[in-house]
Amino acid sequence: MRKIIELKNVSKAFDGQTVLDNVSLDIYDNEFLTLLGPSGCGKTTTLRIIAGFEQPDEGELFFLGEDIAALPPHKRNVNTVFQRYALFPHLNVFENIAFPLREKKVPQDEIREKVTEMLRLVALTGFEKRSVTSLSGGQQQRVAIARALISHPKVLLLDEPLAALDLKLRKDMQQELKGIQKATGITFVFVTHDQEEALSMSDTVVVMSEGRIQQIGTPIDIYNEPKNAFVADFIGESNIVNGVMLADRKVRFSGQVFDCVDEGFGKNEPVDVVVRPEDVLIVPKGQLRGIVTSVTFLGVYYEIIVDIGGFKWMIQTTQFVDVDEEIGLYIEPEAIHIMKKSEYSGMFGDYSSFSNEFDELSDAESEADE
Amino acid sequence: MKPAAKVYTALIMIFLFAPIAILLIFSFNSAKSLSVFSGFSLYWYRELFRDAETLGAVRNTLVLALSAAVLSTAMGTAAAVGIFRLRSKVLRAAYDTVTNIPMINPDIITGISLMLMFVFVGRLFGAATSLNFWTMLIAHITFCLPYVILQVLPKLQQMDASLPEAAMDLGCTPFRAFLKVEIPEIMPGIVTGLIMAFTLSLDDFVISYFTAGNGFQTLPIRIYNMTKKTVTPKMYALSTIIFFTILALLIMTNLIDTGPGVEKQEKKERSAASKRRTKLAVAIGAVLAVGMAAVLFLGAPKKPVLNVYNWGEYISDGSEDSFDVLQGFEDWYLENYGHEVEVNYTTFASNEDMYAKLSSGAVSYDVIVPSDYMIARMREEGMLLPLDFDNIPNYQYIGESFKNLYYDPDNLYSVPYTYNFTGIIYDANRVDEADTGDWDLLWNPKYAGQILQFNNSRDAFGTAQYKLGLDVNSDDPADWQAALAALKEQQPLVKSYVMDEVYNMMESGEAAVCTYYAGDYFIMADAQAPGVELSFYAPERTNYFVDAFCIPTCCQNKELAEAFINYMLEYEPAVANAEYICYGCPNRLVYEDGAYAEDMGEEAMEILYPNLDDFGEKYEQFAFRNLSPDMLSTVNTLWEELKIN
Amino acid sequence: MKEKSNGLRVARRAALGPYGLWALLFIVVPLIFVAYYAFTDNDFRFTTANIVRFFTATSEVDGVITHTYLLIFWRSLKLALISTLICLLMGYPIAYILSRASARTQKILITLIMIPMWMNFLIRTYAWMTILQDTGILNSFLRMLSLRPVHIIGTEGAVVIGMVYDYFPYMILPIYSVMAKMDLKLEEAARDLGCNSFGVLRRVIFPLSLPGVISGITMVLIPSISTFYISQKLGNGKFYLIGDAIEGQYVANNLHFAAAIAFILMVILLIGMALMQRYANSKAAA
Repeated sequence: MRKIIELKNVSKAFDGQTVLDNVSLDIYDNEFLTLLGPSGCGKTTTLRIIAGFEQPDEGELFFLGEDIAALPPHKRNVNTVFQRYALFPHLNVFENIAFPLREKKVPQDEIREKVTEMLRLVALTGFEKRSVTSLSGGQQQRVAIARALISHPKVLLLDEPLAALDLKLRKDMQQELKGIQKATGITFVFVTHDQEEALSMSDTVVVMSEGRIQQIGTPIDIYNEPKNAFVADFIGESNIVNGVMLADRKVRFSGQVFDCVDEGFGKNEPVDVVVRPEDVLIVPKGQLRGIVTSVTFLGVYYEIIVDIGGFKWMIQTTQFVDVDEEIGLYIEPEAIHIMKKSEYSGMFGDYSSFSNEFDELSDAESEADE
Repeated sequence: MKPAAKVYTALIMIFLFAPIAILLIFSFNSAKSLSVFSGFSLYWYRELFRDAETLGAVRNTLVLALSAAVLSTAMGTAAAVGIFRLRSKVLRAAYDTVTNIPMINPDIITGISLMLMFVFVGRLFGAATSLNFWTMLIAHITFCLPYVILQVLPKLQQMDASLPEAAMDLGCTPFRAFLKVEIPEIMPGIVTGLIMAFTLSLDDFVISYFTAGNGFQTLPIRIYNMTKKTVTPKMYALSTIIFFTILALLIMTNLIDTGPGVEKQEKKERSAASKRRTKLAVAIGAVLAVGMAAVLFLGAPKKPVLNVYNWGEYISDGSEDSFDVLQGFEDWYLENYGHEVEVNYTTFASNEDMYAKLSSGAVSYDVIVPSDYMIARMREEGMLLPLDFDNIPNYQYIGESFKNLYYDPDNLYSVPYTYNFTGIIYDANRVDEADTGDWDLLWNPKYAGQILQFNNSRDAFGTAQYKLGLDVNSDDPADWQAALAALKEQQPLVKSYVMDEVYNMMESGEAAVCTYYAGDYFIMADAQAPGVELSFYAPERTNYFVDAFCIPTCCQNKELAEAFINYMLEYEPAVANAEYICYGCPNRLVYEDGAYAEDMGEEAMEILYPNLDDFGEKYEQFAFRNLSPDMLSTVNTLWEELKIN
Repeated sequence: MKEKSNGLRVARRAALGPYGLWALLFIVVPLIFVAYYAFTDNDFRFTTANIVRFFTATSEVDGVITHTYLLIFWRSLKLALISTLICLLMGYPIAYILSRASARTQKILITLIMIPMWMNFLIRTYAWMTILQDTGILNSFLRMLSLRPVHIIGTEGAVVIGMVYDYFPYMILPIYSVMAKMDLKLEEAARDLGCNSFGVLRRVIFPLSLPGVISGITMVLIPSISTFYISQKLGNGKFYLIGDAIEGQYVANNLHFAAAIAFILMVILLIGMALMQRYANSKAAA
């Protein structure tokens, strides 16, 4: 695969506040790449540097092998779909989409032809004369995509384009975006803080936190083999407990010794142990015993919190249990994932103060920030 | 709206429009009064359109307001964009502070500060005139700028910041992105800013007053300078026309961005409406710019220009079927010298006003009309040029009584234009004949609250000095203290300290006694309301004054100036001026003319020309003379002391 | 920070440059000239005499020795404050009524309020003379109704009426524009939480409209404290205000003392405004 964009040791600070810290990233032809992370992690800044709205303080930016760090946005063969679409309110749908062509002084006939084609691609045929402010969120979204694609950029940058849509529409648009990417063969660089969105759409996911890249990989790698506690927690729910590697494929945590599949750690090395909630099975006896402290019905399964020796675990199960009931738990060796200790150790994976509502609240906040 | 709210709104509207209704009504008055309505007439409208000076002032005001509005909008919009993009907090705070200064500084300080700088810099570079159209334009742009910035900046803040980025992303250069995307977005702010700047500039008096220069007079200044004579219903007619023009414009375009209240509903129709508005604004802008350029460049005269600086309402200007002397001069000059000239005529409100402008080196005039004591002062300070009387043969018509007076003992610097004296005007229906005859009438407690006194220090002190038998030109502060005491004693009886307001107050019977210049009595008597019967007398000891043509050292075209002075002594213009101003005329062609005597009437001839042989003697004895700078400062301080009581 | 220019910054500088230069030359430098003239004599030698004179000059008023210019300043301030207060009391309700009226009514009324601003203010003031004088329109009207005529012209009341009239729109417009942006639901919420009408006004509407009130007060107080035409015409020349003093010194060619009065007025106003702004900020923070 051809490398289209290459960031090399890029750093950026605003008012002395570091937002990107030595970031290196390769983006390939025909790839759907997602920058994933919480607000303030530097994903949008990375995107803006690629688009040309910001200049890196340090490091280099290559486009097809050429250094473009100093090239202004209008000279880059890259287009952006903005978070709130940035449609020009004084122009109608047709003129919004035709905007880049008019700028290039393309003849009227050709403009008409290309805009019509684009409208067909985003399923908005017949909307030419409509005012953009009269469109629904989803329709505005499509206009923004059509406008960004009409000059056939090598790379399309999408800055949380679905954040403003409601859940159902968002799911539809995810499919549609993926379809458009496949149909056009253009590289998509997609920014989101929604891990589900990232996993379902991407070829490659780049997890970022505090201006640094934490992990780059396919969605499956990222989910199954998180590199540290931050990634493990950010991608789906995780119970993360302290453990000690006794030997290859032997780990001790929560006062018990478990078989696992990981190798290559030092003897008695302290590690982080990750167990996904759906991987913990309720059994009569089990390796671990705990008291159920809360049960929440979530339709397909129950989400229960279990106190195991003072540490709260989250478990997803279809089996009904009662609060205060003592239960036994079993974890398969394949479900135990061992990570090296990192700066994020101990910060995530404990559900002591967990509540669904709280989680949603903080989600909403992070959306509002951006 | 609730009924209470409706009533309240209606009351506020009555308050706002009451004065406007008044001037609407009085613009149709058939008489000259601004307080007594005598009947419906379009007379003042006809007068207005014949008044070239006022129309010129209107044109000047419009040119200035348009230029200031367009330029400040352009610069202010660019500035707002720049300030909006500033990332440095310190710089941002600095710009905010500086932008706020003209808004929280009173106009009078902005005006004075700019005037001081212009005059200082002008003197530094030895410029002939440091105040002119351009300094006024600079001043107007300066005080309009903050208003434009404060209109545009919020629109930029409301704008989605990614819009210009999107445009650049789609292939626009930063400048193109600004033109194609940002400008349409912030257009409502720009249009409001433009309208505000235009309004502020149009109505500004204070800043213009301090920065106005050579021959470029705006309407507010012209109105202010009418304070020696009177503001006529002509100005009300002009205001009425302005009112209906604005109303028509508003109704036609319905363009005013009324602010955030409308924005809520606006959102939906926004794109169509804003597109229309953009087009309209661009069209208006283009028309304004073209019009401005046309006025500035095509209108610039290529013929020689004579700059005349005279008192307000002090020349026969073609109004009320009089002879237009300035037009007459231009015709006469073309006929006799074979080429065209243009007279640029500007007015001042007082000798001191004129002196302040000339001595600061801020302006340049060819002909000025100071009063006698000011001529003496300017002569002593070397501000006047000796006249070449070969170019003024008509000087021979000046009566002998008006030659060799103290202010110009050798008749080198001045040609008398008018003379007059201070007297007392009273309403014979209310004032006892027995109380009249001398200055004591102004101190008579019987007429408490009906007496008007001068609102200028020299004339007011004069009345007290004549009453007390003091020397009006004394350099002994004690004499002035005594006069001040008399004025303080008079103060409880005084209804009002007046200049031009005297006309209204006497004509309408608002006051019963006043002191003013003899010639003005005839103007008041002509317009007196039913039930008022004005009468006049001059006390034995009173101020006689002569206003004369002089040529200041800053004159640019002396021969032309002398030709003008000579023309003013010709029969036709001299009679026209004498009849228009109603003051005494030192020109024999006038005062020995039968037709003139007939026009003026017997009473006027008796009052104005009692015995001209005595004139020189009385003048030498009683007339105001120039005071030393120290005395002037003392008088000014004493006057302030009177006024704060 | 290393700055790589890419046109954006250049464009920004180009936009701000002319204004920066203009503001420096025609806003900042002239104020330095005011200070320079205030602290020099006729030969431009340094002196504090002008400033000292403002604070020490005395004259006899009603038989009492008084500080001339301090008295003049106090009078100007008093009349300006009264006018501002009246503008606020009259303007606040109308701004509220406007902001809650239908869009069409708002548009019409705002236009009506702005129209008088286009008429020359000297002429408008003149028209007030016609209304207020003893034989004027108002008294004719009162006589017609067999009421006792009132004597207004030449009193402080007439000067205040003139100031209120001329600067009234400057009070309404800023308050209105803040109120129009206010969410109507806030009022409903306050009522829902048990506020009566007065409570809604005092605890919700007024605090939120404070920025508009502050800017309205500024826009009325500043011009009315320094006016010199209104007092001459409507005060029958009996109220000598600080603006009259500056203009009087200017006409008497005492530029340095005129500058000194202007300088002191400016300093006092700047301090006053800064204090008011601080008060508003602390209110807003609380």
